[in-house]
Amino acid sequence: MASRRSGRHEGEGGVRFSRTLFIALLVLSGALIAFDRPTTRSSAFAGFRAGFTDIAAPVLELAAEPVRALKNIGPYFHRQGELAEENARLRQQLVEARYWEDLAYRQRDRIEIYEAALDVDTPAALDRIGAWTVADPEGPFVRARLIGRGGDAGIADGYPVINLYGLVGRVYETGRRSARILLLTDLNSRIPVMADRSNARAVLIGDNTNFPRLEYVGRDADIQEGDRIVSSGDDGVLPRGVPVGQAVATRDGGWRVRLYSDQAPVDFVWVWPYHRVLPPADEESLEAPGAVPETSAVEGSEVPADAAAEVPATAETPQAGADQ
Amino acid sequence: MRKPTERSTPYWSAIGCVVSVFVALVVQAAPTQLIDGVNIMPTWPLIAVFLWSGLRPHFMPPFIVFAIGLCQDLLTGAPMGVWALSYLVSIAAFRFRGEDGMPRDLPPILARFAGTLVLAHAIAYVAGSMALWQLADVRPLIIEATATILMFPLIAYLSLRRRRGSRSGFIGS
Repeated sequence: MASRRSGRHEGEGGVRFSRTLFIALLVLSGALIAFDRPTTRSSAFAGFRAGFTDIAAPVLELAAEPVRALKNIGPYFHRQGELAEENARLRQQLVEARYWEDLAYRQRDRIEIYEAALDVDTPAALDRIGAWTVADPEGPFVRARLIGRGGDAGIADGYPVINLYGLVGRVYETGRRSARILLLTDLNSRIPVMADRSNARAVLIGDNTNFPRLEYVGRDADIQEGDRIVSSGDDGVLPRGVPVGQAVATRDGGWRVRLYSDQAPVDFVWVWPYHRVLPPADEESLEAPGAVPETSAVEGSEVPADAAAEVPATAETPQAGADQ
Repeated sequence: MRKPTERSTPYWSAIGCVVSVFVALVVQAAPTQLIDGVNIMPTWPLIAVFLWSGLRPHFMPPFIVFAIGLCQDLLTGAPMGVWALSYLVSIAAFRFRGEDGMPRDLPPILARFAGTLVLAHAIAYVAGSMALWQLADVRPLIIEATATILMFPLIAYLSLRRRRGSRSGFIGS
């Protein structure tokens, strides 16, 4: 016994848990849980979180570098033998792509003429903001990604985020140099979508699985296995027609979506600075003298009446919910 | 008069504690999903908190445990207070008490850590579900807990080996 006790420092009889401090911290924890709910988060809490991620983002970015290096080791050695063949295939694709590029330019010019004639305002020409993922916490409470660019780069809450393949999610916490993306698979994600083929509407609801559910599809909705699902833009927050995934039928007769964005790890993404379509009432209030312009795409947002009727659980981020 | 080599300076241990907790938190949030197939992440901060609360209890007072949990909440995007509360309660419940403190044998440490782990994850599940206002996904918690309990013996063994090996070492007593 003496030998065991000899190795101890004086006064180290276990963790010194002061009872008063312990109870105070328990109460503080409970209060934080009660007041920092994603659906009712105040701007003060959101600001604190954003500030913390701003500080943590450079460190996490540094930590992500070796992970990215590891990611590239396997494919590098694996592809060495296939390089010549792949090179030839890419050259062929380049030749074909030149034809499509030429066609795209001609179509763009034609569309511009039509838009000018019809006086149509399309938001598609906005520049997208590229960003690297610096953290990807995936736990029981949230499915999100932290990116290394924030408000300083022009990112704001509610902006849609895409990768090479399709919609990834939307921004829901924006700091100065970092932002957090709520993935489509998160429990709090609600996105109004439609089948590209039939325009059948639904709401894509995340449930922390890799295949989010399609809800509110209607009794005789024209959705088929393999249908391309795109954003419908019904909420005015997301642009219309962003590719989301493919419809997959479930055994219980429901529908889920295999996300296009899952074809590769979400590493480099683009944030789309899409400004939501404002209802007429909001537009009038913005035009009123002394009105403060809306800085966030989601803060203070309300769903347009017609969209709300069509989309019962419309796409709202936790921050949006907080302001309702 | 004690010889300098008989007892380690607390500064090295303090640095070791800070660095290990910091690394645990960063690794917890690192984008490991970039590597195909690696989606399982043990709860590194809990391992660090548990071991340090046994090896150097005065490094892990309640507010430090709380702060580590809060940092994990903020880094992982979880509602604030969830991991802070679970670490606080589980460490308080299963901490090594008495004059002997942390034993030098692995099995009792493993048993106590298993209790800490289960309690921490149970509290996190309940608190997280309350914060989300719906049942949280239990599957990631089970995977996380399983990965943690599988990883813990190695970390604990290395810590104890270091502790046994030198009376004036990095963690030494």
